[in-house]
Amino acid sequence: MKPVFISKLKPFLDAVAEQMALFVPKKSGEHYTYNKYDPDAEISVELNNIRTCTTVKEFLFPVCELAAVFPDPVEPEEIKPFAVFGLKECDLRSIEILDKVFAEEEFQDTLYIKRRENMFIISSDCFDPGESCFCNFFNGQAFAQSGFDLNVSKIRDGFIVEAGSDKGEEFLEKHSQLFNDTPETLLAERDENRKKTQKQLEQNNAEYLLDIPIKNIIENSWESDVFDVEAKDCVECQACTRICPTCHCFYLYDTKQKDYFTKMKMWDSCMRQAYAAVAGGANPRKILGDRLKHRLMHKLAYFFDRYGLDMCVGCGRCIDTCAGGIDMRMVLKKLNDELKDKGKTEAKVIK
Amino acid sequence: MSENPYQPVNGKIVDIIDESPTIKSFVVVPEEKIKFETGQFVELTLPGEGEAPFTPSSPSTDSEKMEITIMKAGRVTALLHQCNKGQKVGIRGPFGNGYPLDDFVGKEVYIVGGGVGLAPIRSLFLTLVDRIKDFKSVVCRFGSRTPDDFIYKSDLFGPWQKIKGVNMKLTVDEANGQWKDNVGVVTNILEPNDVDIKNSVAVVCGPPIMMKYTTLKLLEFGFGAENIYLSMEKNMSCGIGKCGHCMIGKFYVCKDGPVFTYEQIKNYPDIWE
Repeated sequence: MKPVFISKLKPFLDAVAEQMALFVPKKSGEHYTYNKYDPDAEISVELNNIRTCTTVKEFLFPVCELAAVFPDPVEPEEIKPFAVFGLKECDLRSIEILDKVFAEEEFQDTLYIKRRENMFIISSDCFDPGESCFCNFFNGQAFAQSGFDLNVSKIRDGFIVEAGSDKGEEFLEKHSQLFNDTPETLLAERDENRKKTQKQLEQNNAEYLLDIPIKNIIENSWESDVFDVEAKDCVECQACTRICPTCHCFYLYDTKQKDYFTKMKMWDSCMRQAYAAVAGGANPRKILGDRLKHRLMHKLAYFFDRYGLDMCVGCGRCIDTCAGGIDMRMVLKKLNDELKDKGKTEAKVIK
Repeated sequence: MSENPYQPVNGKIVDIIDESPTIKSFVVVPEEKIKFETGQFVELTLPGEGEAPFTPSSPSTDSEKMEITIMKAGRVTALLHQCNKGQKVGIRGPFGNGYPLDDFVGKEVYIVGGGVGLAPIRSLFLTLVDRIKDFKSVVCRFGSRTPDDFIYKSDLFGPWQKIKGVNMKLTVDEANGQWKDNVGVVTNILEPNDVDIKNSVAVVCGPPIMMKYTTLKLLEFGFGAENIYLSMEKNMSCGIGKCGHCMIGKFYVCKDGPVFTYEQIKNYPDIWE
């Protein structure tokens, strides 16, 4: 089906909300967070120009969830269809990463898979990339390329909606009365917008440009003290890992209820000091700089070795949130320059 | 395995054996059979309190019951030490890779163990002894802080030493009045001619510092890094390579280990910590 045109968002979102719970971005201070869409509310919905502050991971892998009940097991909670509106290309890439971890290996996370199957993804083009956005480092684009059910592109007089899956096609067919055909001129406008945004993204990041492929930088930097130097400003708040759409470490803990026991699964952070410590007291990453190094090594080297893709989408949320002002682009740039000074641009890979 | 990897199998502690002042063995009977390979580990849950990873010390040929030897080291292990017979527990697993016994066939198996590291080694030892003719010999060098700190004393000080095909030497860091055997750390009783290095595999399990110096000594003897098997102790939690706590470099110890060859992990700087 060809992309279709709609002049206002409300009828479109109302149609989605009729079928399932719909979550939409809402501005809170200077950021967007997700809220449940209420068709009866008077407030007009605006399309977020940039990714939201909170991440799509919260819909698939909640902060805290029930992992098991014993001695008598219970059926896992029922997951109903839901839709998330306004996701960006970086959010879709982060879903791809989480899928590798929770849905594509020999052990499959039942609840994750159920949530994933029931999620209707409505993505949208980026319009105004943030200062911290650096998805172009990871071949990211300012618009969704795959992994969406529907994609919305804002143009001057309305919105272009395009299906990216069978579910999306079905929706557009069912609600064809809401949409008009999209003339070629509007598609050209959309493409022009996309190019403009991409250019702005590249301009924003010009000062951080790297000479060496990121994986090579990180794998050659085992001995570097840049990690220790950069970690000096870290206050161990762990916000970087919580706000990251791809970080997926978790902590299992037990609770005692009146007549049963549970295992709970809660987000954890590899930046936490006791994270890797064992009961006897040994801790492979006692030092903060080592934890920062491990976080970046995991994202940019180990994950790639295991799954064939980077575990960073360049969304820049960790940069925005860091109380110590640590900027991953700057860490990479410093490592890049250090290697360049040493004339080391070839990879010495740890197998 | 249960479809939900976080769901424990219910079980019960049926016997408790005092091994040393800080170590007890728990005989656990799960409600469903749990078949494991020697060297794999399980997560033992004390309901409502927490779980911790242990490699069973019983041979893998017994899937009806499981013996788990536990040193009082942290919160969960201290609580387990207070438990009595009849205590209900949960067991998840088995997880990870055990010792590749088929690769050991026809070779001398050189086992170096220390302290509570003898727990996984007991399982391996009994599994090897069960098919002792498959191996050229089983050469054991075990150490402990004091004679009292040795676990499995009744087996170790007598019957195991008499098994045909087994060559065993023991040492303690500090002797007491009755001890007539070797004194000194376990690396002191390792000799280059203990085994025919060209046709041997080495298995090392014990405290990190002992594993480090044993590995260095074995390399010095001429062992290839690919023939040294290490049972790594990290903070294994989920057991399925997801939660991240046990990572050594790119490896998840819970899924890719806990048994690794030194060759696999030698380039990571933090393996002994």
